[in-house]
Amino acid sequence: MTKRWLTTITFLGACLSFQAQAELVIDIVGGTEAALPIAIVPFGSEGPTAPINISEIISNDLASSGRFDPLPKRDLISEPHEKSEINFKDWRLLRSEGLLVGKVSTEDGELHKVQFQLFDVYKSQQLAGMRYQVPAGGLRRLAHKIADQVYEALTGEVGVFSTRLAFVTEVKGVDGKKRYALQVSDADGANPRTVLQSKQPILSPSWAPDGERLSYVSFENGNAEVFVQEMRSGRRNSVAAFKGINSAPSWSPDGTKLALTLSKSGNPEIYVLELASGKLSRVTHNSQAIDTEAVWMPNGKELLFTSDRGGRPQIYKVSVDGGRAQRVTFEGTYNSSADISPDGRTLTMVHGFKGKYYIAVQDLQTGTLQVLTETGRDESPSFAPNGRVILYATEQRGKALLASVSVDGEIHRRFGESGKDVREPAWSPLRK
Amino acid sequence: MKNSLFENISAGSFTIILHVALFALIFVGIDFQSTTHVTAQPKVDIVQATAMDEADVLAEMTRQQEYEDDKRQQEQERQDKIDKKFEQAEQELEDKKQEIVEQQQQAELEQQQRKLEAEQKQQEIEVLKEQRKIEEEKKQQAEVERKLEEQKKQQAEQERLAEEERKQIVAEERRAEEEKKRLAEADRKAAEQKKRDAEERVRKAEEEEKEKQRLAKIAEEKKKAEEKAAHEAKVKADREAAVAAKLKAQRDEAAKLLQDSLDAEAREQETMRINGVVDKHVSIIRQRVKRYWIKPSSAERGLQSTLQVSLLPSGEVKVVKVVKSSGNILFDRSAENAVYKASPLPVPTDPKALAKFKQFSFNFKPE
Repeated sequence: MTKRWLTTITFLGACLSFQAQAELVIDIVGGTEAALPIAIVPFGSEGPTAPINISEIISNDLASSGRFDPLPKRDLISEPHEKSEINFKDWRLLRSEGLLVGKVSTEDGELHKVQFQLFDVYKSQQLAGMRYQVPAGGLRRLAHKIADQVYEALTGEVGVFSTRLAFVTEVKGVDGKKRYALQVSDADGANPRTVLQSKQPILSPSWAPDGERLSYVSFENGNAEVFVQEMRSGRRNSVAAFKGINSAPSWSPDGTKLALTLSKSGNPEIYVLELASGKLSRVTHNSQAIDTEAVWMPNGKELLFTSDRGGRPQIYKVSVDGGRAQRVTFEGTYNSSADISPDGRTLTMVHGFKGKYYIAVQDLQTGTLQVLTETGRDESPSFAPNGRVILYATEQRGKALLASVSVDGEIHRRFGESGKDVREPAWSPLRK
Repeated sequence: MKNSLFENISAGSFTIILHVALFALIFVGIDFQSTTHVTAQPKVDIVQATAMDEADVLAEMTRQQEYEDDKRQQEQERQDKIDKKFEQAEQELEDKKQEIVEQQQQAELEQQQRKLEAEQKQQEIEVLKEQRKIEEEKKQQAEVERKLEEQKKQQAEQERLAEEERKQIVAEERRAEEEKKRLAEADRKAAEQKKRDAEERVRKAEEEEKEKQRLAKIAEEKKKAEEKAAHEAKVKADREAAVAAKLKAQRDEAAKLLQDSLDAEAREQETMRINGVVDKHVSIIRQRVKRYWIKPSSAERGLQSTLQVSLLPSGEVKVVKVVKSSGNILFDRSAENAVYKASPLPVPTDPKALAKFKQFSFNFKPE
């Protein structure tokens, strides 16, 4: 009997504590890192049909980043072009994180009015939206620009779809002689434009931080010579034509200097050239070793370069003012051709292993090295200006072509086979 | 190409470089000087770009909202902290009170229990006493009846004697008559005898009257005894009924206590059953929301969004509210979207378990 009473009391206590207990809380830990589903509705059109399909370019851009999963067109339940035409309830069923709508109108087929709006489907809220007027020739670039804004609104990171790529193509002419061209394309490899043609090799294009100038090495005068060319006017001039090799130019972050490899002293050494004054200062002094392929750290005070001073090529770091160089890479017997991420934390380079060459990244804080590619004939890595992707040159069936890989090694892409050999890629800075 | 250049250089010696240079010089000498063609890249600019009004207004509103939200949240958090401390103190006080109350309740219950048991024993004694008394009375009653029976027997004997006497008298009368006939002359004697007879008759009559009265008295006594017995029987019956009622009340009380405790156990079991159902559905909901949650890559360790969710009885998500932001808008949004995308959530059909899911919270953490 007493026991039963005790039970009753315990139960009463339990009841009280049950009521005092807070509401139900469910912990969600983890989640997935999948591509974000997004619905991109084909843009509405008024007047003469635009020469390019804007929404298709946006969709391809976002899909190519590997971070978005655009809904297949056949799954689009309706084709709204502005907010008033959207039934958000319907779109919620498709479980897309974002909904992009827009329209293009033109009267004369030349000046186009373009607008877009990006919505959070669940909150019926606009996340981004702009209205533009562009000539027909600017539509492609605008499409990339819109893709950048969508990317940034949904990932919080800067998009690089409206940036450009520079690279060198090589074709064999009908006369059997090789023709070289320095080309610039959109970030998706589309829309290539030639900025320089030559019968002699062109090497190592490098973008100025303003995106308006390119420097490169040209053999057009019989020797490796460094040029700087303005993109808009096409005006160019030779900035380094010393005796011996003039190669591997790299722009300082402030755009006033170039780091170069010169062998005017008899041995390849790193120099810094002040463009306005032409003042040249020597950075490395090691006549026993080859020092080359300098790149600037984002702080503008240090350079990374390749040197075989330790017997085999490795990456070293040195102050722009000279002084003692510090070795940076230790893993493997071959590391060269460095590029540094915009935040200065990650190094990418060509990593040799058993006679094959791969693209690798190294965390500069931890020193951890990660190999990202598998082909074994990879070279010239170049960071995208948001630091998420690395562009590089590789070979496939004897053909040189460009490829890219995300810094986590997850997303691989190859750029269109043009029948030409494509090498020496350089990713432009962000457009202002 | 950089590599190969590097390889060339490293493999080689200076002579190779000279060779390349020489070769290039020869090459250039043979070739035309004007082999290089430059193409200008006129910039195609966006003529005009304006933010969509809504975006501007919205952005401004959002900024304002965020500022206010921040302020509000800070104030809220400060207030919450005070409230929480106060609540805690109160809760502790309440808990202590509760504990004392529970101890008192327990003591009282035990006291009651002891009292109840004592009372029951007392009642059992009284019942026994009562029964003994009833038996005593029964005995007395039997004694009265036995006496009554004896009296009846005596009376019957007297009547028999009386009858015999009467018969004797008749015989004597007849003898006297015969004597009268036989003793005709003895009139005086006869008259005397007659007188004596008359006197005898009177006496007899008196005796008979006396006897009649005595019988009546006996009858009266018997009636009285019967009435007394009836009254006592009634009293006894009433007393027995009272005792029975009391016993019944006690039994009912005990039965009620038993039933209460059984009910309590049943309730406890029901609570446990509901908790089981709730736990099962929490697990299913967790899995489902997790599957729909796409974390932004900017989700760093240590972030946490707390969302309050209201559901329709069907499990359909009615409202999702960020009650505690992670500080990372994209992270918050990814969590909100995960809940919306997981709608309808698999809620239990049991109404008591379902009630727990009417409004509840999610804590989103990247790891």
